Amino acid sequence: MRPAPEMVVDGFPKRRARWVELATSANHKDVGRILIVASLGFLFIATVELLLMRLQLAIPENSFLSPVTFNRILSLYGATAVFFFAVPLALGFFYYLVPLQIGARGTALPRLGQIGAWLVIAGAVVLYSGFLYTPSEAGVNPLPPLSELAFLANNGVDAWTSATGLATLGFVLIAIDLTTTIRNLRAPGMAWRRLPVFSWSAAICSWLLLVIGPVMLAAITMLEIDRNFGGVFFADGSGGAPLLWQHLSWIFFTGVYMLVLITALGTIAEIVAAFARKPLFNRGVTIGSLMAIAVVGTLAWMQNMLTAPIGIGWMYFAMVMSLALIVPFGLVLFNLIATLVGGTIRMRAPLLFAAGAISMISIGLAAEISHSMVAVAWQLKNTTDATAVTHFALVGGAVFGGFAGLHFWFPKMTGRTMGETLARVSFWTMVVGMLLTFVPLFLAGSEQGQVVDAYKFFDGTGVNAYNLISTIGAFILAAGIVLELVNAILSRSGGPEAGHDPWGGESLEWFALSPPDPHNFDVLPDVRSARPMRDIREAIAHRTRRAEQSRARESQPVA
Amino acid sequence: MTIGFLAAAIVVVAVNLALLYALRRYRADRGAEPRQLSGGRRIQFRVGAVLTALAGALLVLSLVFTDKARETPAGGAEGLQVAHSEPLRIEATGQQWLWRYDYPNESFSYYKLVVPVDTTVTLDLTSTDVVHTWNVPELAGKRDAVPGKHHQVVFRADREGSFGGEAATLSGQGYAAMRTEVEVVSPGQYEAFIKRQRTDIQAAQDRVVRLLKAEGTP
Repeated sequence: MRPAPEMVVDGFPKRRARWVELATSANHKDVGRILIVASLGFLFIATVELLLMRLQLAIPENSFLSPVTFNRILSLYGATAVFFFAVPLALGFFYYLVPLQIGARGTALPRLGQIGAWLVIAGAVVLYSGFLYTPSEAGVNPLPPLSELAFLANNGVDAWTSATGLATLGFVLIAIDLTTTIRNLRAPGMAWRRLPVFSWSAAICSWLLLVIGPVMLAAITMLEIDRNFGGVFFADGSGGAPLLWQHLSWIFFTGVYMLVLITALGTIAEIVAAFARKPLFNRGVTIGSLMAIAVVGTLAWMQNMLTAPIGIGWMYFAMVMSLALIVPFGLVLFNLIATLVGGTIRMRAPLLFAAGAISMISIGLAAEISHSMVAVAWQLKNTTDATAVTHFALVGGAVFGGFAGLHFWFPKMTGRTMGETLARVSFWTMVVGMLLTFVPLFLAGSEQGQVVDAYKFFDGTGVNAYNLISTIGAFILAAGIVLELVNAILSRSGGPEAGHDPWGGESLEWFALSPPDPHNFDVLPDVRSARPMRDIREAIAHRTRRAEQSRARESQPVA
Repeated sequence: MTIGFLAAAIVVVAVNLALLYALRRYRADRGAEPRQLSGGRRIQFRVGAVLTALAGALLVLSLVFTDKARETPAGGAEGLQVAHSEPLRIEATGQQWLWRYDYPNESFSYYKLVVPVDTTVTLDLTSTDVVHTWNVPELAGKRDAVPGKHHQVVFRADREGSFGGEAATLSGQGYAAMRTEVEVVSPGQYEAFIKRQRTDIQAAQDRVVRLLKAEGTP
């Protein structure tokens, strides 16, 4: 007879201090929370940097900041907003929610995701310890030859490349984990066609990052070789080409632009469906459109290079790709609004921010049309009009869309709801701030041709009023953002208890506890449709009804 | 430009009005059950067709406009008469943080470009250091000056006067001050200007050489 297997329990491992547990945890919820909290912190820092630049540009020929300081803040602002706010926030939400939505107990490669998150944070530390000695002065996108050693000999650009390189590597690792998780760990019955839209956008964004991330890593490595090991990748006259960097970096930045919008649209789709109590209108087309945006949008990278010496054929290629984007973006926006039609809409904070995001994104994308038409772009590129367009699309997507997601999933993450009144106040403050900050910049750029990235503008060029209004608007926008962050901090322990399914959502994250157990689910339901949580609710209602009926029958007096 | 803005305005107004209408019209307190409608193939095709038509129309318009913008404008009767009606070729070199213009008679000027009115001018852009963008919005679109590359911008000034411009790509500390001025003058004044520049430059060079000789080898 074989001995029965023996189980020995030594007791639970000793818990270490909470921050040690959190910092060493590879649980997707801990890692996701770290990414979300860190990126919201960097949103605050980016906002402060924007305010400093706007203060300098409040009046003509201001001397509040020296040109070098302005260029440093500009470079920090770009890196912070893209690499340490927008992308980590999207990845943080994906990382937290995708396993819950697909009915998995964790991610497939948890250590990889954990390393990824900490690489992003390491990148941020490098960027901001660069602040102690010399940050980069080369701008949002450090174009060689300006970013080459010959023109910026201090180590600012090296800090920039190291920081963004670490972050990009982190993004790629997290993307590998997410794609593997979505591919392998879906619950029984969770077919691809039943995957929630938000998880679909996670899958699409991860595939996209697997393509564009390595491109950026290559570009950064080449720049580092140029700067420190005598390379000539981007040096003209020695077989190198300054334009090479522009192609590689714009492939990445254009892809990231699409990533931010795909994430926002996926978030909005979930919220719109939940708050209208309807399924998403034309799910299949919407998901297909998000995929098309990732592919076609990234192929439009040369839309950023229409003034560069590239052949007219390539300019037309960029134009065709970026105008073609009208179709998928239009279909998604149409389907989001069509989802509301015929629903029963409860106007709560998540839907408010989602509607604001749709509105801001529509302004940004519509204005982007002009920047895609080659002859018009020759006038508009590198004016503050371009700044305004980019900010409407990306602040609309990452900040408004991000806050919509924060309001929507905050109850799941903390067990508490965020304050509704404060949310409304901060929302309207942000809307007013956005319009006051960026509409004047639209006008200054398209009417008067005010150029981007300049640390000062001159009196008598007709842009004084525009810039002053824009600065005032920036302060209002910042106040709105800060109010929202304060709301999140206060609600974390003081908000009203939310329960496990506060909004009547339809995907599986609402089946877990709030906050979820470390292993997410004790039991998993068989997924039979794209709306598993609705099926569960109906099954429970059905069973309750049957139980009541049978009880009623049993209690009938025997005649 | 106007058409781009018009299309943008229409898109923005349509999306936002539809959004506001849907949000107000279908509020929960109107007391109806949500319609569990999850798709409509017909309407999706129609919307897709409208969007495709919009994108196609904008593409065609943009191609036509861009083609027109790329046409080399012919020089007029008032302008400088160049042999074989070739455009007047001037080299523009960007350097941190100044533009240098080289004229056909080997004279040159910094900051200020002087061109004859009603004459087709080809500006041959290049850079000696970092990427700059030549930008005089009233005369032509923006073009980048990239080291090691030659990039042409063609324009014709229809009236005499002075046109200002600011470089439009971050090029370092002095970027905001990197401005230029295009002075459009009559062909006679232009000829006189480049001739005077040439003699002045020659005189200055001669003087330097003379001084060096007087001082001995440097």
